[in-house]
Amino acid sequence: MSQYKIIFTGPVGAGKTTAITSISDAPPVKTDAAASDMTKDRKASTTVAMDYGVMNLEGGEKVHLYGTPGQERFDFMWDILTQGGIGLILLLDNTRTDPFQDMRFFLNAFSKFIEDTAVAVGVTQMDISSTPTINEYQAHLQNLGLNPPVFAVDAREHNDVSLLVQALLYTLDPGVVSE
Amino acid sequence: MKKNRPDSVKVALYGMDPRSYKTMELYLKGPCRGIAEVVAEADAQVNIIDADFATASDILADCRRKAPERPVVLLSLQRLKIENTYFVQKPVNAEQLTTVLSQLKPVKKVSPAPVSEKPSQTTPNTAQQSGPEVSRPVAAKPAKPRSAFENNEGGYTAFLGTLMDIDFQDAKQLLSASFDAKKHFLSYVLSACKVAAHQGKAQQLNSIWKPLLIFPDTRQIWLDADDKQLRVFAGVEQNKMFAANISLVPIDADSVKAGKAKDKFQDLETFIWKLAIWTSKGRFPRGIDPNLPISLKYWPNFTRLLLIPDAMRMTSLLLKGTYTPLEVVKVLDVKPQYAFAFISACHCLGILSQSRPSIDSVQTPKPDLPKPNKKQTLFSKILNKLRGD
Repeated sequence: MSQYKIIFTGPVGAGKTTAITSISDAPPVKTDAAASDMTKDRKASTTVAMDYGVMNLEGGEKVHLYGTPGQERFDFMWDILTQGGIGLILLLDNTRTDPFQDMRFFLNAFSKFIEDTAVAVGVTQMDISSTPTINEYQAHLQNLGLNPPVFAVDAREHNDVSLLVQALLYTLDPGVVSE
Repeated sequence: MKKNRPDSVKVALYGMDPRSYKTMELYLKGPCRGIAEVVAEADAQVNIIDADFATASDILADCRRKAPERPVVLLSLQRLKIENTYFVQKPVNAEQLTTVLSQLKPVKKVSPAPVSEKPSQTTPNTAQQSGPEVSRPVAAKPAKPRSAFENNEGGYTAFLGTLMDIDFQDAKQLLSASFDAKKHFLSYVLSACKVAAHQGKAQQLNSIWKPLLIFPDTRQIWLDADDKQLRVFAGVEQNKMFAANISLVPIDADSVKAGKAKDKFQDLETFIWKLAIWTSKGRFPRGIDPNLPISLKYWPNFTRLLLIPDAMRMTSLLLKGTYTPLEVVKVLDVKPQYAFAFISACHCLGILSQSRPSIDSVQTPKPDLPKPNKKQTLFSKILNKLRGD
């Protein structure tokens, strides 16, 4: 059975785990056994296990939702994680000191993957810090030669995360339609 | 945060650390579509216990002692068969959990039993008891999730109208598919917003309708009208009397804001977007030629905007190349009124432009859409899943 994956990345506290939980069919459960059940090659720690989810599609196919551990910025695992991925969801925390710096960091770290696939950017915590605005993110991205979807996102909201992932798919192929 | 369904089951969670507790809480609201709401122990109708927790058996005994009639759901990697409990095997999936919870009819809140009371081993629950999950009947379909288009009360035709059998080559018919923004409330709002932004000062737009307050510093508007009222007013073509009674006056933002109902404030872009859609009613704005190429600057912030069907597909297409409005309709096979409402809204936000190609300009080839392939089938399935189809 074919298996696919979407990668969620971003700094610590940007809402990766929460976003994955919002659309996953299986809740990340904290037990050690559950962690080892998810992926054999991962650390059997709670935090790692939390950043995993799965969407079960009709016909038995699965889309795995992987969150990169935010605190391990130079993790070699990122390269392995992105192999065969559909695309990247980048979540940014608007309350951090310099979210643009975070954005540049992650775009650079995943540049090859983005080049081969696509990225959609979700900005979280905008209810706490309204700046930078979405327009400012857009302008910054255009200066970097990119024009991806950038949405204000509440990672707890299924609808927000769902729209962000939908935008990622449409970026890859505007011709795709839901049946 | 998503509101819980009125019929949601009130549950208490046990054997979970704070993060797992929070995650389960979100999971019940999100993928489980609000089937259950996590509440304090005293208010719960159902107890959910992580049976893999070290002291799970003590927790179960404690729950039974305190509220013997309250149903208990056990989550575990191991298949459990414990009398008078419901079982959901890990990794938990939404359908399984939803099925079990939907069968647990709420029981009346039970007062804590005296500590001395013996644990009840056999007291039947009022809800149907379960054996292992394999013995349960097949799951009922989870409740329909919150739609991305839930604001579209009355369906799209309520505000997008129907453009039937328009011959876009016929100038007369083409005219009926367009609207003149100058004859609508929309144009006055756009002008007022420009003035407010230019002067950097809050403004009050007065008309024969309700006053509209514009705050450029926070990019908000204030209007004492609900969306239904606004939708109706937006679609009405205004007469000369309306224009004669329009005025724009500067106001002191701080003092005015203090006295206004907080729930009437709206994001400026969100407001203009929906006002444009409801004014357009599926027609394109005069000034935009459906036969000339248009270009889009960037993606609208769709999570905070009223969605139009196929809006994201149209956005993606227009960011990949330049197409005329009629080409967009044809290439993506979308309804003209969807395309025109989308174009109207983008135009009003200032992120869509149209330029007449110069005689010397070379026509750039349009990028081909990917042909139907295996990936497209996969993407369709993911979209179905995300939309809960």
